[in-house]
Amino acid sequence: MTLQAQLEAYLTRTSGKPTRVHDLSRIPGGASRETYRFDAEVDGARRGLILRRDPVGSLIDTERKLEFLAFRSFHGKGLPVPEAVALEEEGAELERPFFIMGRIDGGKAQSPFSLPPYGEHAEAIGEQFFSHLGAIAAADPAGLPIAEAAPTPAPDACWSQALDYWEGVIDADEEHPQMIVRAALRRLRRNPPPPAQKLSVVHGDYRTGNFMHDGAGRIIALLDWEMAHIGDPLEDLGWAIEPLWSYGETDRVSGMVPRETAIAIWERASGRKVDPAAFAWWELFASVKGAAIWISSAKEYRAGGLKDPVLGLSGWYTARRQDQIIANALARLEGLS
Amino acid sequence: MTPTVSELLLGNFLALSEPPPPESMGDFMAGRIGVTGMIAMLAAQEAERGAEARLWENAAIRDLLTRGGAAIPAGAATEEGFSITGLDRVNAILRKALIALHIAAEEKGDTALDHAILRFYVKSADMRRLDMPPLPPG
Repeated sequence: MTLQAQLEAYLTRTSGKPTRVHDLSRIPGGASRETYRFDAEVDGARRGLILRRDPVGSLIDTERKLEFLAFRSFHGKGLPVPEAVALEEEGAELERPFFIMGRIDGGKAQSPFSLPPYGEHAEAIGEQFFSHLGAIAAADPAGLPIAEAAPTPAPDACWSQALDYWEGVIDADEEHPQMIVRAALRRLRRNPPPPAQKLSVVHGDYRTGNFMHDGAGRIIALLDWEMAHIGDPLEDLGWAIEPLWSYGETDRVSGMVPRETAIAIWERASGRKVDPAAFAWWELFASVKGAAIWISSAKEYRAGGLKDPVLGLSGWYTARRQDQIIANALARLEGLS
Repeated sequence: MTPTVSELLLGNFLALSEPPPPESMGDFMAGRIGVTGMIAMLAAQEAERGAEARLWENAAIRDLLTRGGAAIPAGAATEEGFSITGLDRVNAILRKALIALHIAAEEKGDTALDHAILRFYVKSADMRRLDMPPLPPG
């Protein structure tokens, strides 16, 4: 049975009405989940939807329920977050776990490799990008749907839980001794940050490439919540500012605004001050987390028979770039550069 | 280790050799072809510089081990061959020994050796870098 026929069978059964699927098309990217756009037609009315289905192999092991609840936590709360429509953890007619969400049309996600990514709209995009992140940080996770499934760490355990998780990924997936990231892991253990000022929903992958903009300076969709969890909001800020996303630029973060401006926008929107010592830890952590993801990519690339070039590129080019970033950060932290 | 050029170029072939299902024919395949092109472009750099970077790194690690008073591990005193696979095999042995030496330097507070190793990391990462030219905004 084709995927289109499977989707029609599922939607017809769950809606109780005959449903036709039109224009089903897989979207590039989304290495951790297969992503498709399609229109569902019921009683002559069409609705644009997105299907996110677990792949056989994946860039990141994530809980689709957490991602689904993260969308549900922020949809309709003043942020451009699509509606979470349906979740099937057992796969139902589609045979692999999936969820369906509303589609926001008229935008594009920017490649981290394009320069300059946002042209004349860089400042406007940066203002929204860091302001939206500050709004996510300001929300109380206790009252949000994601709290149904995401564990809530103690404020002084956010860092260790995050570090334990990603070090575990490196331990499990390292196929060649990673001398640079190992040095960074040790440094992070020796110099823990202060407890989180507050607990927040952490998007987990908030960066260029994971939001859509309309090409005229407006962010229209915050996407890819697959690594969402509850933790220290500085984790997201560190990841958003990670040099990997500032492709070829040193004076702006993510090709948007200067670093100080980004932090100021986030502070205004979140109502929190960034502690420089704590943030230095989360910035290095972001690079280590990136390295863990790329190490996993290389392993998954081989395990999948070398067939997914996105995993290959991530496990090779991106891993090398991440090594450069970490090595320079370690030297800088010791006053060597 | 990161995928080798041989694996990546074989992977490029495999990625494009199977006919995709109908729903993957449009943007998805265009994106996939674009990524295989990036890999091919970067593979040209690795083919030119990859062996040199590994030879340099292996020699530099031996120097650091000697400076730190650590033995050169068995099987890593010299290169066993000049294929990428052979250089990587020796490199893995040497890197493990260097990690142990670095931990020892940190625990002893040997700042001079610690800093020498950190400087080596910067140079090593730069030797292995791949230069991605900027893409036009899409």
